[in-house]
Amino acid sequence: MNRAFFAALESIYPPQRLLTRDVELLPYESDALTAFSAKPGAVVLPVNEAEIVDTVRLCHDHAVPFVARGSGTSLSGGSLPIPEGLTIGLNRLNRIKKLDPQQRIAVVEPGVINLSISEAAQPYGLYYAPDPSSQSICTIGGNIAFNSGGAHCLKYGMTSNHVLGMKVVLADGTVTKFGSESVEGVGIGPDLIGLFVGSEGLFGIALEITVRLMPQPEVYRTVLAAYDDLGRAGDAVSMVVASGLLPGAMEIMDRLAIEAAEASVKAGYPDAEALLIVELEGESIQVNTEFERLQGIIQQSGAFELRVAESEAERTRIWKGRKGAFSAVGRLSPDYIVQDGVVPRSRLGEALLAINALKVKYGLEVANVFHAGDGNLHPLILYDGRAVGALEKAEALAGEILALCINLGGSITGEHGVGMEKRDYLPAMFSEEEIDIMQALRRSIDPREIANRGKMFPGGEAPALKLQGLHPLEKAGVISRE
Amino acid sequence: MSVNAPRSVTELQAIVRDNERVHVVGNGSKTALHNAHDGAASAELSGMTGIIEYQPSEYTVTLRAGTPVRDLAAALSQQGQYLPCDPLMGASATIGGTVACNLAGSRRYRYGGVRDFILGAEVVDGLGRAFRVGGKVVKNAAGFDLSKFLVGSLGRYAIMTELTFKVFPDAPSFRSLRLDYGPLEEALRAVYFINQSAFELDALDLIPGARGWSLLARLAGYDETLPQRVERFSSAMARETAPLDIEELADSGSLWNPLADLAGGCLVKVALSPKQIPAFEAALAGARRRYSVGGNVAWVATDEVDALDAALQKLALTGLCLRGAVKSAVIGEPIDNVLAQRVKQVLDPYNKFM
Ligand SMILES: Cc1cc2nc3c(=O)[nH]c(=O)nc-3n(C[C@H](O)[C@H](O)[C@H](O)COP(=O)(O)OP(=O)(O)OC[C@H]3O[C@@H](n4cnc5c(N)ncnc54)[C@H](O)[C@@H]3O)c2cc1C
Repeated sequence: MNRAFFAALESIYPPQRLLTRDVELLPYESDALTAFSAKPGAVVLPVNEAEIVDTVRLCHDHAVPFVARGSGTSLSGGSLPIPEGLTIGLNRLNRIKKLDPQQRIAVVEPGVINLSISEAAQPYGLYYAPDPSSQSICTIGGNIAFNSGGAHCLKYGMTSNHVLGMKVVLADGTVTKFGSESVEGVGIGPDLIGLFVGSEGLFGIALEITVRLMPQPEVYRTVLAAYDDLGRAGDAVSMVVASGLLPGAMEIMDRLAIEAAEASVKAGYPDAEALLIVELEGESIQVNTEFERLQGIIQQSGAFELRVAESEAERTRIWKGRKGAFSAVGRLSPDYIVQDGVVPRSRLGEALLAINALKVKYGLEVANVFHAGDGNLHPLILYDGRAVGALEKAEALAGEILALCINLGGSITGEHGVGMEKRDYLPAMFSEEEIDIMQALRRSIDPREIANRGKMFPGGEAPALKLQGLHPLEKAGVISRE
Repeated sequence: MSVNAPRSVTELQAIVRDNERVHVVGNGSKTALHNAHDGAASAELSGMTGIIEYQPSEYTVTLRAGTPVRDLAAALSQQGQYLPCDPLMGASATIGGTVACNLAGSRRYRYGGVRDFILGAEVVDGLGRAFRVGGKVVKNAAGFDLSKFLVGSLGRYAIMTELTFKVFPDAPSFRSLRLDYGPLEEALRAVYFINQSAFELDALDLIPGARGWSLLARLAGYDETLPQRVERFSSAMARETAPLDIEELADSGSLWNPLADLAGGCLVKVALSPKQIPAFEAALAGARRRYSVGGNVAWVATDEVDALDAALQKLALTGLCLRGAVKSAVIGEPIDNVLAQRVKQVLDPYNKFM
């Protein structure tokens, strides 16, 4: 960061919103992929759109790389600072600018917390559907970058499916708008929302977002089924799908995840090898009929115990264990890596068996929590970062899981994004030509490659999670693992 | 103008490489899109048809872009499934054309539009490169999602050769109702009531009549529970929105084809929000029309496209002409966008697709 650049920053931001001292930068050095940290050159905290746009233009003019940051809960290193780059913290842009219950839309700033939209919509019987487990802290801007999803995305989709309009500043400082207040979004002309959502902060910064709200379902009916075999829980999912039911959520947890959840939130889960949560939602008359069918299917699927949530409190408890599973597993072990691979649903059983074999091969514990309805696995690989070689071993295991997902015809990431963590695996999913085209696209929008430089694409100068040994930047003391 | 009917991706790539201008035609059903392309070599995808992979248990289907929408719908319905964005089933509409024009029927109301169900695609771009965008599984966050970008792209960026969609189980039975109101405002108030209620309609359209406005509402579900649900819905509507009349109609495909009564003239799609309808109505001056998808899509049939063009411009709305003799398929507010231009530079720098 040169002097001229810095002086220009000072003309935009008062000192309390332009952070440069080590102690001020510390909270921004990592995201939720805590194995890495890097020190940004500075952090700025804009309070309005104009400041963001000015900052991006400045970065473009001076070729200073920047990363937008919401709440820093990325699990793939998406909001990890770029060493000596600028981190643009967006948490202060947290206004819900408009809420129109009649048309079921809200217009929000990028730093608005996911759950606060639902809270604001609640009095009107509406809610914002995508529900990442981190929804009480993560921001809409971050959700947009990764097209985040949650347990309830089977029926109504992920973030992208709920964004109708956006105003963005592209990485070269151009401000543009697309979409509308119609549920059609862009409607006529290429769907730019679909392109921008999921671009991992590489195209620019979302300044204003129009989201669609959904009516709260009249009822939820939730069932928890316990199995003495993980494969059987997987088969139950296929049976539900084959029956023609369309649940709002279908989630599986394995023994380790169950035990962890039990120890931390005391959800009252049965002692089992696997738990399946299936939730139906909708009009009561319809759902009650569906629920009878569902119970019949689950009974046939070999569950040894079946619990039906009889009250909202019981339903909340069932979900509390599932939603808190990551943090709960975190307590079992000093460190863990969360993976996010996707496999075709019909190959879930196969994938789980293979992960079990890998566990044995590497001598590491892996807890499995996953969105079974859409084949999205979240294996949590436990390791002790203080033990020599443990992280490398965990990463090697993670790498094998990703390879497995690709071989089974799936994807390396369902919702956490490629970020820093999986950038070396992008070539395993896409051909050289396909990656070239994506890179050309990136350069056409960001000729200086300043927006979130070093993420998503293999190579580059940002710190990479290397499979073996220390990264050169670590050796040089630029980045460090905690 | 030379007409080509490639049978394979390789043949299509050659056509793109060997010609200065290339114009893609699915089956030519959207005639307005093919008016302004004299001099371009046309590539007809009607030879590239067929379902490549369909696994009902995965909720996914992959098919060639020239496949008629009807064939897809038939294959899905054999397994009790459907494509919830409800592609319009004109006699010769292809799935590629459906994506390129972003066309969805009334049932789009329930679960979403084309953009919400496309998962991935194989394309040939303006440089003749053949490549894949998106994925084949229901969830994928790796790489830029160019597959959604293709929705509504009007063939100007790349030619789709293969498409993958998410599909859902379909309901076994349906019931349809007509609710009559007086002025538009009252019908819209009923729409807003439904928007904030927990009733899950399969479709909701708004139609002008001689004496007032009507809502067409459809419920989907099981035979045994539908009568009760219809009853509940009707009485809530009667209580809360005071319709002049509620009548149950025989449910049928043509009832739910938003274009059924719009034969003749120029056919135009407009995406708008329900609150824009009154101003749009005032500017329309009586063209034949139907508001679909809960008042979020207007279908207009008119012989006076220029007047419609002017009306749309005034309201900053865009229209897409699907049928009729027009200079440009896009009317009203232009759709040029800087982000789209950047994509164009990469996928079609020589403007082969115009
Ligand atoms: C305990 C836990 C549970 C989680 N559960 C889920 C889950 O269930 N599902 C799921 O999908 N994810 C989950 N995540 C991951 C994470 O919460 C999501 O990726 C979330 O969307 C990140 O939001 P954030 O505000 O923290 O973004 P950050 O981490 O701050 O940033 C993430 C990315 O977004 C970019 N970005 C931020 N704001 C903008 C903007 N305005 N415009 C453009 N780019 C921007 C950043 O540059 C960065 O690349 C979980 C994380 C944790 C820690």
